[in-house]
Amino acid sequence: MAGKRMGGVSATPNLTPILDMVFQLITFFVLVINFQSAELDLTLNLPVVGSARPVLSNPTRLLVLNVKDDKGKMSLNIGGNPYPENAIKPFLQVESTGALKAAGMTFDDVKDGSKELPDLMVIRADSKCPFGHIYYVINACQEVGFRNFVLKTAPAGAARKQQ
Amino acid sequence: MVKMRSQEEVELNLASMLDMAFQILFFFVLTFKPPPNEGQIKLRMPPPQPVIGVGQQSAGEDTNKDPNDVRPVKTLTISVLSRDGGIENIFVGVPPEMHPVPAINQLDDELSKYFKGSGDAFEQVIINASPELVWSELMRVVEICTNQRFSNGEKLGKLSFVALPSSQQP
Repeated sequence: MAGKRMGGVSATPNLTPILDMVFQLITFFVLVINFQSAELDLTLNLPVVGSARPVLSNPTRLLVLNVKDDKGKMSLNIGGNPYPENAIKPFLQVESTGALKAAGMTFDDVKDGSKELPDLMVIRADSKCPFGHIYYVINACQEVGFRNFVLKTAPAGAARKQQ
Repeated sequence: MVKMRSQEEVELNLASMLDMAFQILFFFVLTFKPPPNEGQIKLRMPPPQPVIGVGQQSAGEDTNKDPNDVRPVKTLTISVLSRDGGIENIFVGVPPEMHPVPAINQLDDELSKYFKGSGDAFEQVIINASPELVWSELMRVVEICTNQRFSNGEKLGKLSFVALPSSQQP
């Protein structure tokens, strides 16, 4: 009514440019979204290794195992979910069965070493974690046929931050 | 009549679409986690096999008498003993001949001798470590090992780990 009294001038802002910009931003976030970050336990202080190579995109399936010490006991986090120590072997058995089926192999193939599962086991262990805990996880992976591992490290520049 | 219809201005109400777009944008902004800056060491880690020293197996020896027998393989062993989580002693060698390494700084030189001498003869490299040894200390040893090169220039990419009996056990 007020508009009409002023002479019928409508004051609708042109929303098209702002909508364009918002869609640009959404497209940016959709492209850079990284679902793998959800599998990472970002509270871990990874060991600093200067000669470690940067992470390259890998087409193979990978399983991220976050290991740390919790008052002398092993604390394991897989895919963002905590796992008790006695649950890791059944979990890996299921993963191995799926991986063998996907690769068209049997357990005997990987047991005798003639073939290998292409899946990568990514070990993200805290720098203060005792080797005994990590060995338990590695050994459990080996028992079900996984042979390819990636040990995650922090770059050399992270040493100052940890100190 | 047709001309009059085409001249009518049709205005879309973009406000609701903009609201929705902002909702989605806020979701992405709030859940955005930049990937951490990490490095990696890629290794093949088969389970360790029974050990035999280089030169202990004579040429032409039949190792396949029983197909169920596991064939021992020529192995370079690195033993890392721990005290309070740190490295106490390091031994390198082909069992049973193990040589102490005075400090971790000298491990690279010590390993180079083995790899230049008979590196290609080793079928496996095993790192024996105390279970109390903290991961960052062991990774220093792993880093030195993975920097070793065989005579053909290829880097060592295959390692096996063994946990030694705990020193805290009676």
